[in-house]
Formats: sequence, C-alpha cells, structure tokens
Amino acid sequence: MDCREFCEQHVAYVDDTLAGIELVRMQRHIAECESCAKHDAKIRRSLLLFRNLPLIEPSADFSQRLEARIRECQGEHLLANTQRNLRYGAVAATLASAVMLGYIGTTLYHRTDPPRDLIMAPVVATIPEPELAPITTSTPAIVASVSAGLSIWPAALFAEQAPVRFAHSKLQLTDYTR
Amino acid sequence: MADIVRKHVVSVEGPTVRERLQAMDDSAVVTEFLGGEERAFSELVTRYQTRLLNFVYRTIGDREKAEDLVQEVFIRVYRHLHRFDRSKKFSTWVYTIASNLAKNELRNRSRNPLVLFQTVQKNFQDEDRPLQFEDTTARPDDMYRKRHLREIVEETVAKLPEHHRNVFVLRELEGKSYEEIAEITDCNLGTVKSRLNRARNSFAEIIAPYVD
Repeated sequence: MDCREFCEQHVAYVDDTLAGIELVRMQRHIAECESCAKHDAKIRRSLLLFRNLPLIEPSADFSQRLEARIRECQGEHLLANTQRNLRYGAVAATLASAVMLGYIGTTLYHRTDPPRDLIMAPVVATIPEPELAPITTSTPAIVASVSAGLSIWPAALFAEQAPVRFAHSKLQLTDYTR
Repeated sequence: MADIVRKHVVSVEGPTVRERLQAMDDSAVVTEFLGGEERAFSELVTRYQTRLLNFVYRTIGDREKAEDLVQEVFIRVYRHLHRFDRSKKFSTWVYTIASNLAKNELRNRSRNPLVLFQTVQKNFQDEDRPLQFEDTTARPDDMYRKRHLREIVEETVAKLPEHHRNVFVLRELEGKSYEEIAEITDCNLGTVKSRLNRARNSFAEIIAPYVD
C-alpha cells in the first residue's frame, strides 16, 4: 500500500468500516510510514476534540414556545379546513344551480307545443263479484249444519267472509260420530 | 366521587402512556401520533430537541437562531407527519428538514453581508455563552485553557465550507452512517466520503497548531 491509497482509505479506517484484509494493510502501512502515522494521529486527536465539545441544551422556555406555536398551527389548520369546506360548499352550490338552470333552459328551449289540459281516461267504478269456491268435500261442520237445519250455502259464505283473525285461528273440529 | 375516580384514573394513566411511548421506537411513536395520541409528539420532541439543536447550532453558529430553526423543524414535522413515508427512518427525515433549514439560513446570511457566521458566533461566545458547562472546581488557568480550546474548535468548524461542515457535523457529532448522510444531504455516497475526508483534513490542519 502506498501513501495515496492510505489517504483514500483513511475515512473508512477511522470509522472502522474497512474489511479485515484492508484493515491489516492500513495498520501495516502506519507501522512502516511515519508521515502517514502522524497524519492518522493528527486526525484522530482533532476529532476527539470536536466530539468532546459540550452539548448545548434547549432554553427553559423552548417547550412552552413550541407548544404555543403548535396551538397556533392547530388553529390555522381548523380555520383552513373550515374555509376549504365553505369553499367546496360554495362550489357545489354554484354547480348545482348551473345544472338546474341548464336543465330548465333546455326544457324550455325544446318545448314547442302549446300547453294542453291534462285529460285522463274515464274511470268506471265496479264491484267485483265474489268468487264462490265450490264445496267438493263434506266436512263434519257441513254435516253438522245440515243436521241443525241451516242451509249449506249461507254457512259457507259466512265462513268465507269471516275476519282474517278468525280465519287464522285454529279450529277444533268436533267429531259427532262417537 | 366520580370526579375523584376520574382524576385518579387520569393521573394513573398519564405516566403509563408516557412510559409506553418512551419504550417504543420512533416508527411506533409516529404511528401512535397519527392514530390520535397527541402525547406521542411530545415524545418525539423530547427525543430530538437537543440533538437537533446541537446539529443546527454547529452548522450555523448562532444559538438563538438555531433554537428558532429547531422549532420550525418540529412545526413542519407536526404539519406534515401524515405525509412521511414510514418505510424510511424518522430520524433521517427530521435531520433532512433541519439540514435544509440550516442551509437556507446560511444562504440568506450570505445574501446579507451584515450578518456573518463568525460575527454571530463570536458575539454569542463573548456575551451570551452559558457557563454551566464550566467545571468550577478546576483551577482558573485550566478553565481558561478549556474555554479557549473550545472557542478554537468551534471557530475551526465554522471555517469549514458549508457542505463540508454539514457532512462533518452529521458524522462526528450525530454519528450518522454514510448512507444516512447521503440521504440527508441529497448526495451520493462517494461525495459524502470525499467531503468527509476533506473536512477532517481541513479541520485537523487548522486546529493542529493549537493542539500541539
């Protein structure tokens, strides 16, 4: 290794980022070259001085000032949001108005016929005749109505026109055959 | 009674949340903040205020201005944290903001010849320098020597060209890796190494007569 190569690699050498073989070559060169050894010592000593400079601390009111600025920032953010919402609202309202006016304008422009009265078709009110389902089987209830002297057809009509709840209620059939 | 219970719960909950945040890494704290935990931002400020202040101060040489700039860094972080790419390191992002602000400050100063780095730093050291760093048990001549040496070191850093100084401070003071410095300063890796090498050599050359 020559002095030029040593200087090129010196940053990595000081920072301990050299690979093993390179590191050994640098160490050998320092052992052999007095000038490079002096250079290395000079750099390391000066860096030590800089690294040992005392740290400065933030002033006592640093946090308070920052908090105040953050609050301002939040206020500005809220205001900006409100203004943006208002602006969006205004834009939306303007657009809606424009669309509505356009629609009205287009409708009026294309309307050539004179206005006419609305004529509806006549409606005839009729009462639909109830459909009577034929009785196909003779149930015990019908048999019972026959024996009591009631006519069959009024009884069947009565059962058909009964209220819904009555129709949905569970009917218990009586067995008279016993 | 309910108030007392609530107060007790709050007082118990406060430190717990803070402790939990302290145990988290930066990325998790950022996630907490974005999830609505305002205390997470205070945790970020606590972690970075001193480091950023020293970085900016060593870069621009004016303590008051450095504090203002660090405040500005945190304001920007607060405003734009939702845009931060969380696949990257938070510290790199925050140092990038600080580095850019410091660069802008130096650029503005160079346009205004009345305010020079050395002037500001000298004034600060002569009049406003805090004395809490001095070891009061030491002998006066030792104190003088220490103070004198510190002044020389700070002046020497100030003499470095801006782009060298930036890299130098990030590496030597903040201990950033070459890759991080490259990202913060928006340079490639070769440039970072080259600038660091030159900065170290220049610094050592200037300070050597005072040290020997």
